Amino acid sequence: MKLLSTRLKRLYDWIDKRYKISPLIAEAQRSINFALPSTLTRQNKSRIFWLGYPYYYAGAITAFLAILQGVTGLLLAFHYVPSAVGDPGTPTQAYLSVQYIMKYVPLGALIRGIHQWGANLLVAALAIHAFWAFFRSPYRIGREISWVLGVVLLGLALVYSFSGYLLPWDQLGYWAATISVQIVRAVPVLGDLIAQILLGGTTLSPLTLTRMYFYHVSLLPVVALVLVGAHLVLVVLQGVSEPEEAWRTQANREGQVGKQAGPLFAPFFPHQIGPVLIISLVTLGLVLLLGAYAVQMPGDPANKFLTPQFISPEWYFLWAYGLLKWVGWVYDLVHFVPPATIFGVDLVSAKVIGILIAAAMFVVLLLLPVIDRGSEVRALRRPLKTAIGVWAIGLLSTLTLYALNEILSSTLLIPIDAMNMMLGSIVIVVPLVGAVPVYVILRRHNARLS
Amino acid sequence: MNSKTASGAAKRRWPAMNRRQFVQAIVSAGVVGTLVSFLSLLMSLLPSTGAGEEQGEVDNVFRYGPEKGTWYSDKSGTEVMLEDFDQVGKGAGVLWRKSIPAIVIRVDESRLQGATATNGLIAFAATCTHLCCIATWRLDRPTEDVLFCRCHDGVFDPYNVVSDVMLDGTRYLGAKVMAGPPPRAAPIIPIEIKDGKVAGVPENVELYGYCG
Repeated sequence: MKLLSTRLKRLYDWIDKRYKISPLIAEAQRSINFALPSTLTRQNKSRIFWLGYPYYYAGAITAFLAILQGVTGLLLAFHYVPSAVGDPGTPTQAYLSVQYIMKYVPLGALIRGIHQWGANLLVAALAIHAFWAFFRSPYRIGREISWVLGVVLLGLALVYSFSGYLLPWDQLGYWAATISVQIVRAVPVLGDLIAQILLGGTTLSPLTLTRMYFYHVSLLPVVALVLVGAHLVLVVLQGVSEPEEAWRTQANREGQVGKQAGPLFAPFFPHQIGPVLIISLVTLGLVLLLGAYAVQMPGDPANKFLTPQFISPEWYFLWAYGLLKWVGWVYDLVHFVPPATIFGVDLVSAKVIGILIAAAMFVVLLLLPVIDRGSEVRALRRPLKTAIGVWAIGLLSTLTLYALNEILSSTLLIPIDAMNMMLGSIVIVVPLVGAVPVYVILRRHNARLS
Repeated sequence: MNSKTASGAAKRRWPAMNRRQFVQAIVSAGVVGTLVSFLSLLMSLLPSTGAGEEQGEVDNVFRYGPEKGTWYSDKSGTEVMLEDFDQVGKGAGVLWRKSIPAIVIRVDESRLQGATATNGLIAFAATCTHLCCIATWRLDRPTEDVLFCRCHDGVFDPYNVVSDVMLDGTRYLGAKVMAGPPPRAAPIIPIEIKDGKVAGVPENVELYGYCG
């Protein structure tokens, strides 16, 4: 043992002599060990404090899943063939290679299952992480860059999974992508050019698959590594943004009732990393279970002359899909027939309105640190913002429900028009029913406090 | 250039610049110019013109489409015959010129407005003008006489043919939008019957390229 450690020390010295790494390592150790606050750990004196704050670890789960996606994706890349040449409706090389992975590659189905479910859980964890951050307003206390990087990474994750969804070249992926291509084309003025550059044409073709594959395995990983790196470095340098409730409890415990204690800093290892490792293992177990028992086989081979019944994008794009359908429904309801063009540009058709709403949401999120300034970060002390957050959650959920109108109508045996009327009103009413009381109650609560 | 302005320029005082600054400026301009010229390589991202256009011989006879569970499923890929449409309301998803999905319907001619049927038949391009999914006839809405798009619930009325305008300004006749998000009518495809086979008249094929 001693011999081994001497050998390792000599190897380290040998490398250090050439690369001069010891100052860097010392600095990294110092910042990791002392940068992260540990109020939660201290306060609970146990390793299970994450039970009280599960959303607190959504970021760590996301990071863990991203690593898992990298590893499984690497293994899948050994077998996948990105070729979509072939007659419509016949299996292409891409389709066949996915079948091959599922049937013949040892543990191939499990690896693909982990990759598939890992992507789903990653987006779910990311959504929790994003909403958590939205309600806590961390950009108000010097974390603007973390926030902006986070919004960009959220978009990146969606592009990532979108490009991955197309790779098997089956009916579902093909038609989800077709709709998306046409949505891109509907972007005023620049649509066709963007479609040609990003997707290799104005319709889906084998060229599109090549580009999507390139994005998925080559371009996006590099971009993601850089951005995630920048996001995590900031966590190390600035520390985890802890809920102020935790500070207060800590202050109470130490007999300073009524005082606000700041976060206390303590070693990253093992105090912070311990729970992260535990929750990562739990996540791994969940992904393994789902990947082993609930892997989704590719559907029929893509056929550009046949739209399958009940097409739907992945669940996290359903809100956008529902938005498109919903705007069309509203137009019908008020008997609004959009003019073909205004000044030669299509600006008011349902799809363009859908694009503009979605783009506006993204831009608002990106600029939130500029729009929303001040120092109060407690969600309960910010009635308007918290209410907007609740409204947004309600809207996304009800639009998701609206996207499923055809399926719901045929399973519940409700005529489609009645179904649309019901779901369409739910989209308007439910988010407000959630948000207005939140606003009123918080306002009263704060008025009483002050 | 005349000699007067040339001598005028020579008299003008240039900003003070020593040799070092001159070399710096020239080298910087060179570096920037080289980098900018590399941007032209991005042209390669645009699709090459003419790619994927070789289709060989195309005739204009419709061929039955690939929809499963329909009366024409076992005829998929074969030529569309007039005799197959023996009753009003019978319709089929077909393919025209190997690339244009269409729908052929036997209509009740007394109800048809805005167009005339050929031997009782009428045909529309099936590619939805909204986001380019393929519309169907009596698959999703078996009891209604509508062209229905599965993607975003677009509904077109084949009995109400109206004039409409493409995004590029072309005027055309098509099935009116009854409901849903499609911005334009589904273009009609003129029909002719040759030896009992149903064929489209290719008088304005570019019109149907609205989905790229």
